[in-house]
Amino acid sequence: MASVKLTKVKKVYDNKVVAVHDFDLDIKDKEFVVFVGPSGCGKSTTLRMIAGLEDISDGTVEIDGVVVNDLQPKDRGIAMVFQNYALYPHMTVYDNIAFSLRLQKVPEDVIYEKVTNAAEILGITDYLLRKPRALSGGQRQRVAIGRAMVRDSKVFLMDEPLSNLDAKLRNQMRAEIILLRQKLDTTFIYVTHDQTEAMTLGDRIVIMKDGYIMQVGTPTEVFEMPKNLFVAEFIGAPKMNIMTTELVKEGGKYYVTPFGSKIVVDGEKGEMLAKAGAESGEILLGVRPEHIVLSKTKENAIRCTLEVNEMMGSELHLHVFTEDGTRLIVRIPTIDLTPEDRASLVRGKELYISFEGKVMHFFDKETQKNLLVPQD
Amino acid sequence: MNETIEKRHMGLRASRALSNTIIYILLIIMSVIWLIPFVCIVLQSFRCESTWQVGYVIPQQWGFDNYVRLWQTNFPRWYLNTFIIALVVAALQTIIVLCMSYTLSRFRFRARAGLMRFMLILGMFPGMLAMIILYRVLDDLGLTGNNSLPGLILVYVASSGMGYYVSKGFFDTISKSLDEAARIDGATRAQVLTKIILPLSKPIVIYTILTGFMGPWGDFVFARYVSQLKPLGMNVAVGLQSWLATDTMTFNNYTLFCAGGVVVALPVALLFMFLQKYYVEGVTGGAVKG
Repeated sequence: MASVKLTKVKKVYDNKVVAVHDFDLDIKDKEFVVFVGPSGCGKSTTLRMIAGLEDISDGTVEIDGVVVNDLQPKDRGIAMVFQNYALYPHMTVYDNIAFSLRLQKVPEDVIYEKVTNAAEILGITDYLLRKPRALSGGQRQRVAIGRAMVRDSKVFLMDEPLSNLDAKLRNQMRAEIILLRQKLDTTFIYVTHDQTEAMTLGDRIVIMKDGYIMQVGTPTEVFEMPKNLFVAEFIGAPKMNIMTTELVKEGGKYYVTPFGSKIVVDGEKGEMLAKAGAESGEILLGVRPEHIVLSKTKENAIRCTLEVNEMMGSELHLHVFTEDGTRLIVRIPTIDLTPEDRASLVRGKELYISFEGKVMHFFDKETQKNLLVPQD
Repeated sequence: MNETIEKRHMGLRASRALSNTIIYILLIIMSVIWLIPFVCIVLQSFRCESTWQVGYVIPQQWGFDNYVRLWQTNFPRWYLNTFIIALVVAALQTIIVLCMSYTLSRFRFRARAGLMRFMLILGMFPGMLAMIILYRVLDDLGLTGNNSLPGLILVYVASSGMGYYVSKGFFDTISKSLDEAARIDGATRAQVLTKIILPLSKPIVIYTILTGFMGPWGDFVFARYVSQLKPLGMNVAVGLQSWLATDTMTFNNYTLFCAGGVVVALPVALLFMFLQKYYVEGVTGGAVKG
């Protein structure tokens, strides 16, 4: 149970490659923070610097108000779960979990109690006397979590713990991590490249790219108000549609003209544009696939051609091309469609799509920053 | 259709059986060739009718005379010398090699690459080149002749750090995240080595001990030079050879020499028989996703 504070943390490798630039973050006590980003964005490096497995080139890391830059990993009060589990293969599950306690010379009866207790919570009691190689991936990951649990650490670090599991098991373990978090009630820092994991697990999400923090915010904030184009495209699946279009300010009202149509930016988004002092000009317009609808009329709608129809079960993902060849994705709930409608959605079909003003995101064409989000 | 598959299958089986037969015949011939000298020596060591070299292999008169005679010579002393040297060298060399390998496998320090390159080049020069200077140094320290035991140990152990290649290669295959997990669990670097890495590297540890033992056990050149044939400083190889130094001596000692040879080969043969399984045993399964 501790806060973690990173101030201007920087990682420069021997070959002068900068992996992490001036990373500033305040993690509150008992908060669940997720670092997310594509591979090579520095998220794991940052986590490893907090863990003490990687030297900190510049800046400070504080855990519970104590600068830990020069402390050994074991003295930082952290526990860590690795992507590849890192179980000791020559030890039984029991010995794996008990390892850290034995090093601390904890009495065996206390160890017994703690290990069986952790095993109970994780549902691995039956496997305590097995070696890791006799376990499935999900069971191994549970053992790894158990090993971290018994340490009673202040901060729980997880480095892509679910990446090696198959999709079904990943969903199940994700739910278990949420439950575990409620039971442990400690500070979590979780690294993943999977935006779904980030969205479902995190109190706050830190989105990183090329060693820079792109945005820090709650799942709702980063989803509804992405600070820049990168965050907008990274969060949400399928990713946000981006169109180059003209923003026109006319008599105090704004409208956009994607692919020859004309859509008024009404309501809150319009007010926000006015407040931000947006001027007419070319912008990047972002609309999430689920916010696009098939239009019944041709008026103020975008004409496009259906390329691929992906049946996802509860929804359809339609990949369409506009007249100028821009590829857009449209997400349609299956339940809204009649069987005739569904049957007609075949390759080459002409469709008209539209969207409302309130679902639009506006990005500067040069800086790719969101026009409606104050930048610091 | 099925018939052709069947035929093809039979053909494959037949050709595999044929190639296996050829391989086995070759292996049998090779092992017979390798075994002939050993069998001869064992048979000669039990020959009692004469002590010189003869033109036949099967003794006419069997007995343990040669073995009994062995214990009336300096042989037990040489045997003990060799055993002490080999044991101490095996122990020290194993410690040094394993520490060295772990360091080079896990730590990234400034001189690492240079050091490894330097040792690679240094290893290309035969050890014999240093023999004369080594002898002078040992002689000045009074560690030659009858005192050659510590001297020889020093010589054998001194260069052991250079034999890190095999074990470093093995350590490199053990996932680094095991080290990291153990360090987070509170283990020191030394504890990581002894509690995690070494238990996972049993075959390599055994191999290191064996090579550390075998080197001094069979060494002749250095032992001969450092001991200067002084009776208390010789090891078995030098001692046995000294029995065949002249034709007259060979005439008197040939069967004795054979008995000595058998006694020398015994512990090593036993060691290999018992430790053989570690060469093939893989132990890293389940460490990381696999």
